[in-house]
Amino acid sequence: MTKLPAALALAGATCYAAVASSVLLGYRGEPGVESKMLVTARADIVPIQYLKVDAGLSFNLFQNNGLGVAGLGLGVVLFSPAGLTLRFAAQHQQWNDWQAGESRALATIEAGPVFGLEAGFGVARRVPVFGADDYRSPFGWKSDAAEWNYVYRLAWKFLQKENWWLKTGFSSYDLFTLHSPQQFPLRLSGSYALKDNLDLVADVGTAIVGYSGGLVSFHELTLNAGVKYEF
Amino acid sequence: MSSRRAEMLCLAALLAFCACEWDLWGIVTRKTVEQRVQENLTGQPPAPGPVSVNPDSFRFAVFGDPQIVHDNVNMLGRFKQDIAARDIDFFCVLGDLTNDATTDEVDSIKLDLDRVGVPCYVTIGNHDLFQADGWERFKENYGPSCFRVVIAHRIKLIFLDTADGTIGPTQFDWLEKELRDSPFIKIVLTHYPVYDGEEPIMWRLASPVERAKLQSLLGKYDVYAWCAGHIHGWRHAVVEGVNHFTCGTMASGELDYGSGKGYLLFTFAHDSLLWQQVVFE
Repeated sequence: MTKLPAALALAGATCYAAVASSVLLGYRGEPGVESKMLVTARADIVPIQYLKVDAGLSFNLFQNNGLGVAGLGLGVVLFSPAGLTLRFAAQHQQWNDWQAGESRALATIEAGPVFGLEAGFGVARRVPVFGADDYRSPFGWKSDAAEWNYVYRLAWKFLQKENWWLKTGFSSYDLFTLHSPQQFPLRLSGSYALKDNLDLVADVGTAIVGYSGGLVSFHELTLNAGVKYEF
Repeated sequence: MSSRRAEMLCLAALLAFCACEWDLWGIVTRKTVEQRVQENLTGQPPAPGPVSVNPDSFRFAVFGDPQIVHDNVNMLGRFKQDIAARDIDFFCVLGDLTNDATTDEVDSIKLDLDRVGVPCYVTIGNHDLFQADGWERFKENYGPSCFRVVIAHRIKLIFLDTADGTIGPTQFDWLEKELRDSPFIKIVLTHYPVYDGEEPIMWRLASPVERAKLQSLLGKYDVYAWCAGHIHGWRHAVVEGVNHFTCGTMASGELDYGSGKGYLLFTFAHDSLLWQQVVFE
């Protein structure tokens, strides 16, 4: 048990740090519900070995204008050869026109990449909050509409070339989103190295709904494109 | 797992798939909620009109999911006894009339609902669309899946089509218009619940964003209740002043949870509306 604090202290003392930041412009549409542009900024930081921090903000344009989502995640690497990581995260999303918000907490176990595969599963607490006084607060964790959700993800980097790669899979969560168990989200993402430390990144996603009732349809579309810089 | 066992499992899955009474191609090529609602709003077939009740005092029952199968076992006979005993003027059924939507099942449940002996309003559930002609048969028997009716100039009942697990743009606009223009007590009746307890289930309306927008509208326009079926059980929660009911079932099989065999009973009297869960022992 004394080895872990010692390792953390050693890693801290050697000033181990890696930072990647990205800025993306995007779109999210859901028939009858919302159609908006997104501006998203996020940072992925490894302040010390075995510790990962990711944080970001997403802003809405043209509908529910203003801050849309804030997300913060903290991961502890348990077994680095398999990328096995215990991750805790918190999110707050708000829809300003509707005076509605949602606070979320997630706990997941993640693994990978191993042979191009990444996986994760866990649980999440979803707490919807309503009303002009409350919906903006990320500290609203009581609601008569709160529920537990299970979360999962599986991604496969199926194409890796010298300057670019493509990844596909399904993921019910990321830094900013938490899909419900009634949705089955699909995503395709890619990256192209523009120059050292600078990548062009993009993703497209949708979700299947209605499968629990046997009547399947596609329900949402998300598109994001931007740049990622590694310091 | 041995290869022999895997083969047997695959064979069993294939047999189950082939033996299923659902018309899988019909399900895939069905009319979507958006198409059904657009049809509904043309006025053909016409929406059912208001029933005649004593405007100062009346009662109505709400339940979901008779969901009969080929043996046509359900609780409607038991319910018919309550109609007289509790002086119920009319009732509302929240979809899943049958399990497989076969012709025999559709005809049987229509007969059973007629036999109850008082008027009923019906909206559609996912199981009602499990045959290629499911939507056409539903329209023929009950009219539109999305409509509204005002009872005694007191209560506006808004029936929504959520059989696909979503609402769709046209119906969302229509709902807001119906909520905005109404001085009545408003109740939304549909198949899928918006909220249903804390467990990680997959039988609520699908999209959390859609649910946030919906709840925002329900609160903004002082909706009295959202009444749903789909889940065979009873649940009640109050979210921002809006009652969310999972109303119980008339199905004969096992419950998903709780004491849900029965119905939700509304009583309007002295200018106020009261609700009560009626449990079949």
